[in-house]
Amino acid sequence: MKSLAVVIGLALAVTAAAQTPYDILLKGGHVIDPRNDLNAARDVAVKDGKIARVEANIPASEAAKVVDVSGLYVTPGLIDLHVHVYAGTGARRGYNGDSSIYPDGFTLRSGVTTVVDVGSSGWEQFEDFKDRVIARSKTRVLSMLNIVSAGMTSGPEEHDTSEFDPEATAKMAKKYPGVIVGVKSAHYRHPDWTSVEKAVEAGTLADIPVMVDFGSNYPDARPLADLLTKKLRPGDIYTHCFAGNRDELLYETGKINPGMFAGRERGVKFDVGHGGGSFRWDVAVAALKQGFPPDSISTDLHVGSMNRGMQTMIRTVSKIYNLDVPLYDVIKMSTSNPANQIKRTDLGHLSVGAVADIAVIRDERGTYGFADSRGARYTGSKLLVSELTLREGDVVWDLNGLAGVHWKDVRERRRGQGRGRRRGQR
Amino acid sequence: MKTIHLLVALLLTSAVLSADAPYELLLKGGHVLDPKNNLNAVMDVAISDGKIARVAPRIDPIEARQTVDVSGFYVTPGLVDIHTHVYAGTGMRGAYSGDNSVYPDGHSFRAGVTTVVDVGSSGWRNFEDFKDRVIDRQRTRILVMLNIVGKGMGGGPIEQNTDDMDATATAEMAKKYPDTIVGVKTAHFRAPNWIAVDRAVEAGKLADIPVMVDFGSFTDERPFEELVTKRLRPGDMYTHMYLGSVPLLDANGKVRPYLHEARKRGVKFDVGHGGGSFQWKQAIPAIQQGWIPDSISTDLHISSMIRGMKDMTNVMSKILNQGISIYDVVEMSTWNPAQQIKRTEFGHLSVGAVADVAVLGIERGEFGFLDVRNGRFEGDKKITAEMTIHNGRVAWDMNARAGQDWQNLYRIERYQRARARRRSARTR
Repeated sequence: MKSLAVVIGLALAVTAAAQTPYDILLKGGHVIDPRNDLNAARDVAVKDGKIARVEANIPASEAAKVVDVSGLYVTPGLIDLHVHVYAGTGARRGYNGDSSIYPDGFTLRSGVTTVVDVGSSGWEQFEDFKDRVIARSKTRVLSMLNIVSAGMTSGPEEHDTSEFDPEATAKMAKKYPGVIVGVKSAHYRHPDWTSVEKAVEAGTLADIPVMVDFGSNYPDARPLADLLTKKLRPGDIYTHCFAGNRDELLYETGKINPGMFAGRERGVKFDVGHGGGSFRWDVAVAALKQGFPPDSISTDLHVGSMNRGMQTMIRTVSKIYNLDVPLYDVIKMSTSNPANQIKRTDLGHLSVGAVADIAVIRDERGTYGFADSRGARYTGSKLLVSELTLREGDVVWDLNGLAGVHWKDVRERRRGQGRGRRRGQR
Repeated sequence: MKTIHLLVALLLTSAVLSADAPYELLLKGGHVLDPKNNLNAVMDVAISDGKIARVAPRIDPIEARQTVDVSGFYVTPGLVDIHTHVYAGTGMRGAYSGDNSVYPDGHSFRAGVTTVVDVGSSGWRNFEDFKDRVIDRQRTRILVMLNIVGKGMGGGPIEQNTDDMDATATAEMAKKYPDTIVGVKTAHFRAPNWIAVDRAVEAGKLADIPVMVDFGSFTDERPFEELVTKRLRPGDMYTHMYLGSVPLLDANGKVRPYLHEARKRGVKFDVGHGGGSFQWKQAIPAIQQGWIPDSISTDLHISSMIRGMKDMTNVMSKILNQGISIYDVVEMSTWNPAQQIKRTEFGHLSVGAVADVAVLGIERGEFGFLDVRNGRFEGDKKITAEMTIHNGRVAWDMNARAGQDWQNLYRIERYQRARARRRSARTR
């Protein structure tokens, strides 16, 4: 009986091999997978939208399609922890409208497979956002709800404390766990702590982290050090950490605010959130020199940042890379670190069985200019380029046609033959 | 020592930013390609009040408030992409009058494009919604060809409904917005008759604007040859010229003679790359035999943007790598399309013209270019958009050429901050 099972098992194995067990094999690349402490030459095999095997020298014969990625880095699909993608509502000026953009034109071509929209919608509009954008994008879109019920309107609502509803916010977050991954406080212009406190209250109720854009600077009424050492919980996130707008760098002494170090000690996380006005070279350079790298690198993508110094995620990552941070570390700051920060530990790594969201990156050398949000230029020698992006195992970006075939070898499509498998939205 | 350092920094800065100079911006040292004016030489370009102020071999930086060194790059008119879909945000699923469109600003400037033409995403019934929702709110200049279908590119049966193909209503809307509506589009039509094409041409005649045709299904009842040699007027356009189903090459791989006849009649041929309309097996032999585009365009939409098309400079690079000169490629992407839509105020760098300028680089290396069937052509040249000026303002600056060095900028700022502190200490 046992031997029969073995025979059947063998037969199945042979059949499987004949059917080439893997859909795609990325061959010859250098894998950087910080979550798994992996930084070595490895092949990566993908099957059914999942990582099937990561090993040196997986035979090409075992895959239906082999893509030569030698000379390139293979990393988890990047996670951009700070974006604004609630587009299409027609609301003028607001980030719950015209200031947002649809994600797919910016993410996939930049190695990004997951974005977190931070606060464009509040609990009131979240389901509209979900229907309009989240459910229709190729990019995985997660959300942090704005503590402002009406969301990021760029109007008086954002400063009206009667708009802050921790209970309703937490309730909506609990209705969509895993999609709503945090609470955002942003842009608050009054000198009190209401916005931060209500956001933390909602975060505590729903057991999710809070991300703070600290709004107007009140060094006496609500100093940064108090936010980081008293108001935020361990695991909460301070974004725009190199903005220089709220005493992150103490200009008189040239020192990074000691409160930043104290906050990090407590477990507060620090996110770049570049944006149109939140990244200054003098702050970033001082921070890195004084031993204060960011925990996560993110873009703060929106209509005002996309065509200015920020440009793309991969260029934002390149900026930090040019400040003598090792490639392994900047990848960690753009994959497993942000995944951990939003408690989506299923994302941001290449473990077998994980979703096959993959970025293939080229590390280019030359002379490059990088503008900060004031237009100031830093001249760097390194540029990361997004060569190939896989989302759930499908090629969704291929800069140089690595996954293509020579044009003369394209086979004629027979009449009535479809365009092949299309996986549904997940 | 430190103060000397500071003074030098301040002096250097003021040299770059002189306050009462006649020109706002000077692009210095670039190679100007301006086909309308037959310019193909190293020239400086000065800009003032959003207009081209002067183009000359040597303009003194002292005359400009800001000078940007663009030596090693080509300075061309802002690119004109005459085939895009940018009617986004309506919430309509699976339609170019909705989810299949993209907002242009995130795609245009970073690819050197300053003007796009949306071809047929809207028809006369929803053009004004399009105008309010997108055209009036985006920075990119958006011109429009109205779909002959009143509801525009709504997908499915909407686009097949000949009852909604109203030449008179289409022409009336076009005449109401002559600054924006530059043509009529017919597209995706499947039925084996000429109704869609004929109505579009009728509307084009009534409004005196050209027609652009996407021929939909290629059927024996309405031969492509008849479209381009008889039905279309001189000045009308056929887009998707390297589409797989165009009867382009004969059995021996030769370009069919009727195409040259059509071109001689004045019909224009546009690339319109898109997600399904550019195949190397058509383009390569055709271009080798001289069947080159009149205009290069992207057919930008949500699926073409992340596949072989990518962006305008990528599509231009494809043509450049077939041995067409950069001068000709730029002409196909600026002055030619501007003429095709009769908007001859665009697509050139004449003094007085709107200051829409692209600064393009040609990178050398090994590059792969995909067609719509995942066929790869390996080329050694790639066009990059280094800077884009729109209405005289920097709208894209890939390597921060117009920016100041951060150490200079912030040293000055620190100095000013310290001075302000000292001053307030004194007054206290």
